[in-house]
Amino acid sequence: MSSWVQKGSSGRLLGRAYDLTALRELARLPQSTNRYLFRAAQSPCIPYRRVAMEVQKEAQRIMTLSVWKMYHSRMQRGGLRLHRSLQLSLIMRSARELYLSAKVEALDLEAPSPPARCPDPRLHPPREVEVPAACVPPDGEQPLPEPMDTQEEEEAPPRAAETETLVRCSPRPARVCRKRRSSSLSDGVDAGLVPSKKARLEEQEEAKDSSSEVPDCLPPPPAQAEGAFPNLARVLQRSFSGLLSRGPAASPTAPPARDAKPACRPADPMLSVLVRAVVAF
Amino acid sequence: MGQAGAFTTSFLEFPRVSFYSVLPADIISTVEFNHTGELLATGDKGGRVVIFQREQESKNQVHRRGEYNVYSTFQSHEPEFDYLKSLEIEEKINKIRWLPQQNAAYFLLSTNDKTVKLWKVSERDKRPEGYNLKDEEGRLRDPATITTLRVPVLRPMDLMVEATPRRVFANAHTYHINSISVNSDYETYMSADDLRINLWNFEITNQSFNIVDIKPANMEELTEVITAAEFHPHHCNTFVYSSSKGTIRLCDMRASALCDRHTKFFEEPEDPSNRSFFSEIISSISDVKFSHSGRYIMTRDYLTVKVWDLNMENRPIETYQVHDYLRSKLCSLYENDCIFDKFECVWNGSDSVIMTGSYNNFFRMFDRNTKRDVTLEASRENSKPRAILKPRKVCVGGKRRKDEISVDSLDFSKKILHTAWHPSENIIAVAATNNLYIFQDKVN
Repeated sequence: MSSWVQKGSSGRLLGRAYDLTALRELARLPQSTNRYLFRAAQSPCIPYRRVAMEVQKEAQRIMTLSVWKMYHSRMQRGGLRLHRSLQLSLIMRSARELYLSAKVEALDLEAPSPPARCPDPRLHPPREVEVPAACVPPDGEQPLPEPMDTQEEEEAPPRAAETETLVRCSPRPARVCRKRRSSSLSDGVDAGLVPSKKARLEEQEEAKDSSSEVPDCLPPPPAQAEGAFPNLARVLQRSFSGLLSRGPAASPTAPPARDAKPACRPADPMLSVLVRAVVAF
Repeated sequence: MGQAGAFTTSFLEFPRVSFYSVLPADIISTVEFNHTGELLATGDKGGRVVIFQREQESKNQVHRRGEYNVYSTFQSHEPEFDYLKSLEIEEKINKIRWLPQQNAAYFLLSTNDKTVKLWKVSERDKRPEGYNLKDEEGRLRDPATITTLRVPVLRPMDLMVEATPRRVFANAHTYHINSISVNSDYETYMSADDLRINLWNFEITNQSFNIVDIKPANMEELTEVITAAEFHPHHCNTFVYSSSKGTIRLCDMRASALCDRHTKFFEEPEDPSNRSFFSEIISSISDVKFSHSGRYIMTRDYLTVKVWDLNMENRPIETYQVHDYLRSKLCSLYENDCIFDKFECVWNGSDSVIMTGSYNNFFRMFDRNTKRDVTLEASRENSKPRAILKPRKVCVGGKRRKDEISVDSLDFSKKILHTAWHPSENIIAVAATNNLYIFQDKVN
């Protein structure tokens, strides 16, 4: 999967000629997606955008599933298994790349030249939870169980646990990977993926409820799951309120440092926080 | 054994079936024959070890091959709690390995996630009687009543098999132990966890040598873990370990104390046409086994079994598809966690046939010489004594024939992860969840 994502050295993720081949690869995904993809392969009348949207949805689903699995594996007897966690992280990374690539594809298909700034509002809110989590990788696991215990919602605790370990990983690869493509993509997409955290935090502290998203780059969950998530914001607010105040101060230094980084690290930071969580044992 | 011709005609027919069931709650987690095949050990999720012994062939029924009966049962590991990390340590037995027999007692190693134990299993069929100072119940006799001197004599008693833990090798692994392997020198063994391999001496429990350490300085850079390890059957300096990336490394302990630099590196280049979303995780090797000859290694990943020649590192010499029809179902298998199942693989005594498990209680055998393969099912329906096992077939699409089973009807909760093959005869032990099936070859 990553091979065709990285091919975009010229800036465009994929030329139109690539689409079919790449999307055929995506056809390894389940049948529902297969139908669309195979039809698209055979008849160009099917809009690529729809295909890309399907792929996006599927990647999103897999990411959510992976996060749930990661939480669940932590709850099982014997503790977190390193091999399992590694495998889940690999899937998450692939799903994420898939999602982002499909998203970029969809955006490309929407408008030939992306607007100067098209912030994806759905991508912004999760940033708030990123900073506190980033400041508190493994330690955050300790205080988290207490507020989690009080949660009535089934899904909020797993999301909370996962978000605080994983949330930091996701944006960084995207950010750094974006740097590898030319700046033509940077405006539209980067704005969504390289948010000014400080600005976001200050502006949208109240809007946290909508931010309770499990994998940070994903759009808000389907309506039925949304009920579980608002609590996440409160959990994080309670646990990391002190860090939140520190967060904005820390964040301005971080993006420049990352901007200076020339290439995407082969070993994903996504794994890093997760693995750090493991090492914390 | 050793005659491929005689074997190929009969290996498809395994009529004699013995079937044992352990307690329903306990899922069998490992199966291992000892070096003579006389004993068969199983470990389960509850930390118990059950040893079966083969009946001696009776003179009355010459044609009746010995069947396996329960010989000993003991609790090997108990659940523990790591207070420092607030983690429960599962008592599930991950692996059992027998030591070669050197005296009347049997020795085996059993391990859970963190601790390896050496158990001595010995028989007692005589009991001393006639103590001077104690009476029959063991109470001390009043010295005033003792008027004569007598020497205790050994009298026969009912056979009692007792298992005692002789060594406990603990606190050497931060991560979960996945393999143990006894060295051919019979003095040392190794234990492997996700990132490290330690070498132990059987006599010393408070020290072990670390011989492989793949933990990166920065855990963020972790990309692969150790999944299995085994010593060479004859060369006590050589061992292999497999990784989650589908690679195998062969190391020579003579080269250096820390075998981080491999001597040989076995990796097959990825087939781009098979590349998919889940390629990375299905290429993870779940088991690696040396052939009895020591010339080949066999590896099991999620969909295939591969045989490698130690002299050729760039690709396996044989690849067998175990259940390729699952390749299009990987997403569903990911959802139900089946994609993480760790199947084992075994050689037969002459290294001519390999066997591994699959789903729906199917297990597969591949004859390396004739390239024939068969799918058999371990199920209660087929387990009548002397019933011939019928080969099964999975229908991958199109018309389903009468006896075939379609891919969508497979029961993924019934999986055969652990199998064992008698070291010299055509007797196999197949663990299907909480049932143990022992199949024996037709009498010639």
